[in-house]
Amino acid sequence: MGLKTLEKITAALTSRPAELEQLRKQGKKIVGWLAYNIPEEIIYALGLIPIRVGQGGDGRLVEVGARHISTKNCVFVRQVLGQFAEKTDPYIKQLDLVAIDATCIQLYRLEELINFYFDYKTVVLGVPRNFATKEGHEYFRKEVEHFTKKLELFAGVSLEQSKLQEAINIYDGIREAIKTLYSYQSKDNAPLSWRDVSAVINAGYNLDRLRYLELLQELIKEVEEKTSEPQENQAIEARVFLSGSLIPPGDTKLIDIIEQLGGRIVGDDLWSGLNFFLNLEIKEPTPFGVADAYLDRIPHASLPYLDLPTDGRLANLKHQIQQFNADGVIYHTLRYCDAFTFKAGETKDVLKNVPFLEIHTEYSGSDFEAIRTRVEAFVEMIKNKKEIAELV
Amino acid sequence: MSLNKNFFAGVDVGSLAAKSVILQDGEIFATGLVPSGVNSVESGLNALNLALETAGLKKEDLTYIVGTGYGRVSAPYANKAVTEITCHAKGTNYLHPTVRTIIDMGGQDCKAIRIDKDGAVIDFAMNDKCAAGTGRFLEVMAGVFKVRLEDLGAIALAATDTVPMSSTCTVFAESETISLVARGEKPENILSGIHHSIANRIAGLFSRVGIESDVFFSGGVAKNIGMKNAIEEALKVTIVKPEIDPQLIGALGAAVLARSFSKKEGLWA
Repeated sequence: MGLKTLEKITAALTSRPAELEQLRKQGKKIVGWLAYNIPEEIIYALGLIPIRVGQGGDGRLVEVGARHISTKNCVFVRQVLGQFAEKTDPYIKQLDLVAIDATCIQLYRLEELINFYFDYKTVVLGVPRNFATKEGHEYFRKEVEHFTKKLELFAGVSLEQSKLQEAINIYDGIREAIKTLYSYQSKDNAPLSWRDVSAVINAGYNLDRLRYLELLQELIKEVEEKTSEPQENQAIEARVFLSGSLIPPGDTKLIDIIEQLGGRIVGDDLWSGLNFFLNLEIKEPTPFGVADAYLDRIPHASLPYLDLPTDGRLANLKHQIQQFNADGVIYHTLRYCDAFTFKAGETKDVLKNVPFLEIHTEYSGSDFEAIRTRVEAFVEMIKNKKEIAELV
Repeated sequence: MSLNKNFFAGVDVGSLAAKSVILQDGEIFATGLVPSGVNSVESGLNALNLALETAGLKKEDLTYIVGTGYGRVSAPYANKAVTEITCHAKGTNYLHPTVRTIIDMGGQDCKAIRIDKDGAVIDFAMNDKCAAGTGRFLEVMAGVFKVRLEDLGAIALAATDTVPMSSTCTVFAESETISLVARGEKPENILSGIHHSIANRIAGLFSRVGIESDVFFSGGVAKNIGMKNAIEEALKVTIVKPEIDPQLIGALGAAVLARSFSKKEGLWA
């Protein structure tokens, strides 16, 4: 939509791999990380460079990964393994260490395999299944403490409280900025789309975090200015909320289909999207403080929680649907992403009267038309409520 | 014949058949049904031309055309394209306003659709990527027994026993059927098992969207009496008797929508 800061972010991303190469020559170390509960603040505070890895949407890489893992593992895990096998990704080939948390047990398996087959140094962060209990918190505190010690050893420095506080401030700023951008993109006269914000989030995982925060603040300023310009928007919209399995960079199939068919994505509760930035308040700049804050966030679907009325994930989903004034939910599940697939039925039941469509897919084009029919009918169904019902 | 300009057409190009319905002043004026070929534009036009011929009309006499079915994406003859889900809802509601639940079984997919009193879709679910429970599946089975597709259901009704069929995948079901034949099971009993296994799979789709009476069965497979009975048994419902060929419901819904869209666009008062 012609936002200059978006162009700047794209340019920063383009030059980032070369920049990392230079930084490595100067002795800096890069830590690739993945999943929902890796405390990036600690990596950053130790002077290491955190880069979130993992892309989706490439059926060929899924097959490459499947040579080393069961085809009953989710396509995302298979593709990421394929990326590590090929080592052509400009970030993956520069990693000095890979940190993966065990929120999702399939990702934990990924950690084992990249260490075993591809000789990457790895560190794993245990995540308690009983995350809502006192015992779970105690376990996770020890895990984060242990994780910090391993990283200290790797970095050759000790974690300083002042450095951690500095990192927390930067990350708090990023989290606030992402929330602000989400609220702008859902407005009627938004100068940027959900897709733009999603691209901004994905870019951020690769950029220098301080530089990224500056860019986000600049973007918000530009968006504020552009939003104030009045724009007509009379067309009836199907405002779609995305939920379910992650949609990583590179996986645009569902997003493309929704947009091509006239749907407008206005929000999400994906762990690759907004959820990652919500409800994270680090009260003290210590590994224990970080551990408590991460565990008290919106829980990931991989963690079992058996009391639906008090499930924070579902409560957040209901809240976000309202906040973004969504007309319906498209619940995206990846083949063999069991956590989200298993929870589709109850999620639909909990949302009761909110139009709900489950799309079960993988990284191949074979189901493109089948998804298209479902999404098109869903968009028609939503618009029907506002438009076609009056006609007949 | 004196021509009223208010003719509306719906064209439904499915994987196995292309169907068309022409409406005039709220009444079904003519219909067309032809097998689908490899060219979906041609298939749609063939079905439309058949209805036009029956009606003694030319394409220019039509005020508005809505395309639906998988061929809707390549229907240059249509003014608008709408999914078959919305069209089956509209078509069913047009003929049977008390229906709230539709089972649509076509050539390559089956759908469970819930609608409101106005024929608007409330919820729907479709079968996954495989062809189980579809016209294609039954076509393969008819091939195994070397009988006509249209006789399959009636043969199943003559069963004295139902042989359980564990496979719902078309390929595996075919080999399982061949094994059952080799074991000496009677064809009618195997076919009864096949129909019941599909019906149970359909019941699974309804666990996601729910069932509310009345229930209607549309699509080409709805003409299969054995399937109708098996579904009634599996869902514990009575299916409403169709007023027209149930395979034409999607095209009818498209014609109903053609009428509505053209009115909205001010093409007639």
